[in-house]
Amino acid sequence: MANPEAPGVDDVIAEPGIEPGASAETMLVTTDSFEEYEQEMSNSIDDRQMKESTTSTISELQEDIREAPPTPTAVSPTEPKPEPPDDLELEDNTQQLSLNSLEIDPLRNTTWLAQRKHIFILSQAGKPIYSRHSSEDKLVTLMGVMQALVSFVQAGNDMIRSVHAGDTNFVFVVKGPLILVTVSKTLESVPQLVLQLTYVYNQIVSVLTQSQLTRVYEQRRNFDLRRLLTGSERLIDHLLNFMDKEPAFFLGAIKCLPLLPSMRDAISQTIVQTCGKIKNLVFAILLANNQLVTLVRMKKYFIHPADLHLIQNLVASSESFKTVESWTPICLPKFDSNGFMHGHVSYLAEDCQACLLLLTVDKDVFYSLSDAKQKIVEKLRRTNCLEAINESMNKASITTAEIGLPEMRHVLYKCKSTAQFWSPGFQPPYTTDEEIERLLGLYQCLHHRLHAPNRPLKLIFQQLDKETMLAWVTSGFELYLTFEPLVTKPDAINSVSKLLKWIKKEEERLFILNSPTF
Amino acid sequence: MYNDMPKVDLKVVLLGSSNVGKTSLLERFIDDRFNENLPNQSTIGAAFASKEVCVNNIKFTLGIWDTAGSERYQSMTKLYYRGAKAAIVCYDVTNLESWERAKYWVRELRSVEETCVVYLCGTKKDILDEGKTATPDLDIVERYAAGIQCKFYLVSNKTGEKTSELFDEISKDYISDPDNLHSVMEAITLTANSKTDSRCCPIG
Repeated sequence: MANPEAPGVDDVIAEPGIEPGASAETMLVTTDSFEEYEQEMSNSIDDRQMKESTTSTISELQEDIREAPPTPTAVSPTEPKPEPPDDLELEDNTQQLSLNSLEIDPLRNTTWLAQRKHIFILSQAGKPIYSRHSSEDKLVTLMGVMQALVSFVQAGNDMIRSVHAGDTNFVFVVKGPLILVTVSKTLESVPQLVLQLTYVYNQIVSVLTQSQLTRVYEQRRNFDLRRLLTGSERLIDHLLNFMDKEPAFFLGAIKCLPLLPSMRDAISQTIVQTCGKIKNLVFAILLANNQLVTLVRMKKYFIHPADLHLIQNLVASSESFKTVESWTPICLPKFDSNGFMHGHVSYLAEDCQACLLLLTVDKDVFYSLSDAKQKIVEKLRRTNCLEAINESMNKASITTAEIGLPEMRHVLYKCKSTAQFWSPGFQPPYTTDEEIERLLGLYQCLHHRLHAPNRPLKLIFQQLDKETMLAWVTSGFELYLTFEPLVTKPDAINSVSKLLKWIKKEEERLFILNSPTF
Repeated sequence: MYNDMPKVDLKVVLLGSSNVGKTSLLERFIDDRFNENLPNQSTIGAAFASKEVCVNNIKFTLGIWDTAGSERYQSMTKLYYRGAKAAIVCYDVTNLESWERAKYWVRELRSVEETCVVYLCGTKKDILDEGKTATPDLDIVERYAAGIQCKFYLVSNKTGEKTSELFDEISKDYISDPDNLHSVMEAITLTANSKTDSRCCPIG
């Protein structure tokens, strides 16, 4: 049970003013992942009218990035009544279900039915576009039912949000010309599931752009979007698995590769100096092991963590970037949902598997960027930066035991002002995928409670069977902690304050505290 | 100031439907490897790789553009074959649809890039060796290739069969044209002053 503490505890935990990793300079747009949800909830009805934006960041790079969220008005999600389709009949049939029937009829396949989280994408006309655990064309009827549910509620000038049946949540997001549905048996809350569906939608926009997506459906309502998405299914598949394992998504934050600040500065400066002369280069992003090494940006432009997550997903799901230099059109939905950026994507070197992305709005500069990349690598090699990146990549993350906090098993620390987070390495019992996912589920529960729209909490201390959880949000950070199950409150509080001191001491290595520009 | 020009002598472009193995062909040529465990990794946009080759003791660089086969990138594909000296049009020997698509690319190139030498390449020969039948029949393909006067190669990226021969042929054909030879020699003289590296290894 959650146990909101008296506000006095805040003062006990740490002396006021400690806010590890805080910085006035940031290259990331800071958002609360929950605001996104509120915006989504209040907007999706209007979304169908698709207020096509007239400004485009890409075509008017002079103008500031528009990031003005429409005033979110509190909406109480309507709890719709429709019953899930014939549960009883399904159960009767379960006995005869054959495991081999996935290709014939997924609805009669026990493994398929038992999946913890389904994701379906269909068009407003009810055409199947994507299904996470089976081929979508076997699900025409099922998707028809989903479309019917959505349009039935729409007819009453309302919007279906979610259906709850036992431990299963059915969550609907209607965005642009698409309907996204998840059927989830996880502990994730409706807002968290909505966030995931929004990410999936943004992934599609990232491949096609919002304007193309709108246009094809304007031309033909029953367009088969799979034609345009061929080859992108793997991006959606990977994104979904990624979100099940990575706290970055619900935290709305980015993890950095730990590096000595002098090394990181040297890398950033090398990029700035080499690329300074190239016009129209908007972002240079260096990623290693899915963590940010550095990000150099054009003055005035920032990148949204959600866009960076999509870039991380692209890199992590594309093996071919490793052998060749790619010239990849990519739309960053938060930056400009209507236009493509062009990305020169390549790994630094055979012996340094960090991926460099140079994003520009100019489609004719491939060879210049290719050249610049070569020069960057040569310089980084001479200044031993490649070595430093490798060393950090190959080093196992420090654990809380190694920091000297024996009763603390794991932690997520998010610095709000920079949208960056840090977490230590996993230690027993969180060594299997299952245990890690379970732990992540616990964090998500805490996250939801801290941000619950009707009753947000500041502090949660929760003693569970296998661990004790503590969550704490201040104006500067969010902290999610896992302790031994029998830890006492004073001991837990004591180690939190030790942890914060340690993060403060290491902040220059763990976080990026400046924001280099071209 | 940067000048957006490639540092390559021979620009080659790979064209064809998705999933015929263009990226695999490129990887076979560049690194001589094939990743069997990887399901089709559709190329997003396009990819570029270059490799130095040596024909008759003349060294020059091949710059190869691997294009995305997917329909949504079709409008962008033009950018990549513009100015190409050679094109490898690929199709999957067991996939009739990809063959139709290949013929489309041949027509397109003939009308837009007249100076581009077209090589027709049937991929996945290893599947034929396992007993599958070719569609269309290889005779038809050979006759078609002869009819439009382009060379036809039957390759397997998986085993590496005939892939290096294909690129060898492209390199030889290129350098046998006096104009090309002339421009390569010119480039060599230009760089000779700065570099004196004269190692030369035969391709293949």
